[in-house]
Parts: sequence; C-alpha cells; structure tokens
Amino acid sequence: MDILQALLNGFGVALEPLNLLLVVLGCLVGTLIGVLPGIGPISGVALLVPLTFALKMPPESAIILLAGIYYGAMYGGSTTSILLNIPGETSSVVTALDGHKLAKQGQAGPALAMAAWGSFIAGTLSVVGLMTLGPLLAQWAIRFGPAEYFALMVFGFSTLSALAGKNLFKALIATGFGLMLATVGQDPQSGISRYTFGFLQLEDGMDFLVVAIGLFAVSEVLMLLEEKTPGAVRAQVGRIYLSLRDFMASLLTILRSSVLGFLIGVLPGAGASIASFVAYTTEKRLLGAKARFGEGDLRGVAAPESANNAAAGGAMIPLLTLGLPGSGTTAIMLGALISLGVTPGPQMFQKNPEVVWGLIASMYVGNAVLLLLNLPLVGLFVRLLAVPSWFLIPAVLAISFIGVYAVNNNPFDLLLMAVFGLVGYLMRKLEFPLAPVLLGLVLGYLMEINLRRAMTISNGDVGYLFSSPIAIALWVLAALSLFAPALIARFRKQGLGGDDEL
Amino acid sequence: MTDRIVGALFFLLAVGYALEASRMQVGFLSDPLGPRPFPYIIAVLVGLSALWLLFKPDPEPDWPPRRFWPVLGLVLLSLVAYAYLIVPLGFIVTTTLEMTLLAVLFGARWWQGLGGALAFTLGIYLLFTQGLGVSLPAGRIFG
Repeated sequence: MDILQALLNGFGVALEPLNLLLVVLGCLVGTLIGVLPGIGPISGVALLVPLTFALKMPPESAIILLAGIYYGAMYGGSTTSILLNIPGETSSVVTALDGHKLAKQGQAGPALAMAAWGSFIAGTLSVVGLMTLGPLLAQWAIRFGPAEYFALMVFGFSTLSALAGKNLFKALIATGFGLMLATVGQDPQSGISRYTFGFLQLEDGMDFLVVAIGLFAVSEVLMLLEEKTPGAVRAQVGRIYLSLRDFMASLLTILRSSVLGFLIGVLPGAGASIASFVAYTTEKRLLGAKARFGEGDLRGVAAPESANNAAAGGAMIPLLTLGLPGSGTTAIMLGALISLGVTPGPQMFQKNPEVVWGLIASMYVGNAVLLLLNLPLVGLFVRLLAVPSWFLIPAVLAISFIGVYAVNNNPFDLLLMAVFGLVGYLMRKLEFPLAPVLLGLVLGYLMEINLRRAMTISNGDVGYLFSSPIAIALWVLAALSLFAPALIARFRKQGLGGDDEL
Repeated sequence: MTDRIVGALFFLLAVGYALEASRMQVGFLSDPLGPRPFPYIIAVLVGLSALWLLFKPDPEPDWPPRRFWPVLGLVLLSLVAYAYLIVPLGFIVTTTLEMTLLAVLFGARWWQGLGGALAFTLGIYLLFTQGLGVSLPAGRIFG
C-alpha cells in the first residue's frame, strides 16, 4: 500500500474528535510526569491503561493515548533538569550537565527553548523514520515462523539484559524472574495449572498491570519515602526564546543526535536514557574545542533532548513491526494492545492499519501539541512543583489503587501489588534492573507458545530452531550482545549511567 | 554479603521452580514439548546467574538508616490492610486513611494530610465512578 495514502487514512483516525482529545491528554499527562521528579513514564503509562479498559476505548485510541504519555515525558523531563538540576526522568540526566549551568548563567529561557525545539525536530524526524522503515521491516518479518520468533525474543532478552543494568547477571536473573512469573497460571496448550499453589486468583496468570504498578509505582513511592525528597520548590522560568543564530549553530547537533537516538531506540534494551548520554558524549567528542560542553553550551542541551525523543519514536518500530518491546514502557503498551485484542507484529500493518497509521499520524499531531505545551506553557507546569510532596506522592498511590483494583475488581490484586512493591524496592536497592521483569512477564507467554509451536512442527527436533538463516543470524546477534556490557563499561566510567526506566 | 545471600535465594528459587515443574502431571492431549521444558530452561538461566552472583557479588548496596525499616514495614502493612479492608470499608474510607498515613510519613501535619487526602479521595471517587464508569467498592458497612 502506498505510504502517503496510508498516512492520509491515519490522519483520518488521528483527527477524530476523541483521538484528538486523547493525543492532547496523553501529551499533557506525559509532560506532567516528565516535569515531576520521581514519577516515571512507566508508572504513568501503567496507571492510565486501566482507564482505557474501563472506557472500552478502541485499540487505536488506547495506543494513541499511551504513546502520547511516553514521548510527552521525554519533552517534560528536561524542564527540571535545566531549572533545578533535578532530572525529571532518567533520560534527562545528561541534560542537567549543561542545562543547569545555562540556567545559573541566566540562560534558562534559551536552554528550555532549545530543549523544546530539539525535541520537536527529533520527534518529528523519528516519526518519518518510523513511517518509512516500519512497513519495510514488517514486510520482511511477515515470513517469520515460530523458530524465528523464538530466536528474536531470545535476542530481545539478551540485548535488554546486556544494556539494562550494571551487572549482566542481575539483569539475567531479572529476566528469568519475569519469565517465571509468566508461567504462573493455566498452561496455554495442555490446560494444566502451573505454579498457582491453589490460588484460584492465579489461574488466569499474573496481570502485567498489577505487577507493573507494584514493581514501578509502589516501589518508587517507597524509594521517595526513604530519600525524603525535598518538598515543594519554586523555580523561575523567565522568557522562553531562542535566537535564530543559536538555533542554526545547534541544528547539525540536533540532526545528528536525532539519527543516533533513533537507531539506539530501535535496538531492544537501549532506550532513551542510553540514547541521551551516547548522543551527548558523541557530540562532545565531535565538536571538541569548538564547544564548551559541561560549562553551559546550548548544544549540550540539544544533543540529549533530541536523542531521547528520537529514541522514543525508534522504540515504536520493534514494538509495532515485530511485537518485541525494548523497554518497560513499550512492554506495557504491548500488554495493553494484546488485552484489547490486537497483537502487534508484522500482520498488524495489514490487519489493523487504523492502529498503526492512526498512531503514526497522531505522533505528528502530538509533537506539535508538545511544542505548544512546552514553549508558552512551561511556566504553568513548573508551578506544579510547588505542590508539596506529602500530597502529590500519596495521590499518585491512590490512583495506583484504582488502576490495580479496576483490572479485575479483585482486592487480591492489591495484595499482589503490595508484594511487588516490596520486591521492586529491594531490586532497586540491590541494583537489579526492573524492566526485564516486566518484559519477561509480557513476552514469556509468546516465547513459550512459539517454542512449542516450533517443536510441534519439527516433531521435537531442536535443530529446527537453528534451521533458517534469519534464525541463525538472530542467535548469533543474541550471543554477541551479551558482550556489550564490556563496551558500555567504558562509557559508564565517565559517571554517566543509563537506567532501566526507559 | 547481601549479593551472596540474594544469589543463594535465587538459586534455591530456581531449584524449587524446576522441582515443581518436574511434578506436573501431563495428560495425553499435550503437544510434543509439553508444559515442563520451558520452565526448565528458565530454571537453568536463573540458577546459573544466581551461582555467578553467589561467587562474584557486587559491593554492598547503601542500605537506608536503621530507623527507616519500621517505616517501610508500617507502609507495607498498611497496604496489606488496605487490600483486606477496601471491600468492607469502601474505597473512600480506606484510601483516605492510607493517604493520610503516607502524608504524615512524608512530613505533613495529620490534619493537613487528612484534609488533603479526604478531598482528593472524594474527587477521584466521583471522577472515576460517576464520570468514567469504573466500579469501586462503596463499602459493605454502609449498605
């Protein structure tokens, strides 16, 4: 199908009044989450999924809303990095280096404007990339059989494990733990109960939302309780403007970082956080003495902010075309789509074009909305920081309760949420990455089903898993990616770590 | 030391997980692979990684000060109580109490916390039940 025709149809979906409202809502919530430190995009997306179920939203509307939160948070994260040196999200940690220096020199306005424009350009370019590369990849992946899918998921898990945490083995344990959770409940093929230990509530398996909200939102609250975050803060924004000269001086940095961020975003496991620090260090090296990175250079804001937005767009490619999410946030989107009756993957481009193209078109709209939200209205969001944390954090928890309860109308899920809250807290303390748990839980079922289908086709011959060139290539890539941590360690020595909250 | 303990615990978890898989009764209607091998693969992955952790632990994590543990225990206990009480007492009462407790732990005066919690809980209760059609327990003791 012609891309332009498809995109036109997509705009037809995205511009329906409900969907237009949801793009704006998603971007607004995303910006809020981005601005408020302590609440990450994963919690934000997880908290709004039950709402999409409760309102019986069609899948395209649900994904439009959830994606808006995801890339919206990338915009908002820079605000507090620049103004207060408190990154709103892990993907904006690097932005604080030059951004806050600029703010201290009275240049907060240009820095914020640069972050917004960089985000806008990168976000828009990444949608163009998604639009052109997505269908190609889908066409190629449509020939994947169960053996290729199984290998693809192994590849996804190994890159995620390699990139998500500081310790590869802790990441592997986290992945395995998630897969263990996925096997709880009725076995998809033989119908016997596995690992339910007599709990009827577990027959249908563990709900990914309950685990996600416990693991991320509740444990976040516990961490904040321990850190006793400084309460309300007030920050001055000043006038948001960017001179044409400054903009032109940073344009190349924005474009380079967009491409880099997009490519990193496509890779499973390497999300916005890694993209932002790779882009920053790359630009620092490229520009050398021509720039004053670390002392307050606008390009030091442009690079990470462009890269993290491009990465958010790039991350949609494996999610939409392969059904392989690369991060915790996209894993929740996958789970939500499956619950709504749409299985992301190459067939989705043909079976549910309204979901794919509606989402793509909505991302063009969303990026424009975000530019508006972040340029003239940034002062309003900053004022929210004056809300005391003793009100804000319990309020987030109260909304989590509704989210968890609304999934099955069952208080047992609240109990499960509390357990995973503790698990998440301990995992954070011990530096186990959390995203692999969620990915294991969401993908475990598909992984096992594909393995068993493959074995049914081959009548139990394990060699079948390695019988096609694509499968072999994926196995080799999976093995190679386990060596990535050694390479990453070099970057990490500079004190810039990625985090798993992608 | 912590990592060694965690490694040992995950190793035991993997062993228990595999043992549980081996005890599964499979009927005749299963596929060639059956429900057991996938859990075995996971058990091997977790078991080996856990052993690695047992022998090559990371440095100690920075644990919170000792006085934080009772606070953490209190919050977790309150969450468990919340799960048991939400149906009998209803969403509004339980959520207000939980939010108040947390607000106080975050440094609010109790009356500040209670006021904010009650207002917010009432607001979201109305928004979700009336506005968005989500059903939340009204409380058995009230009706």
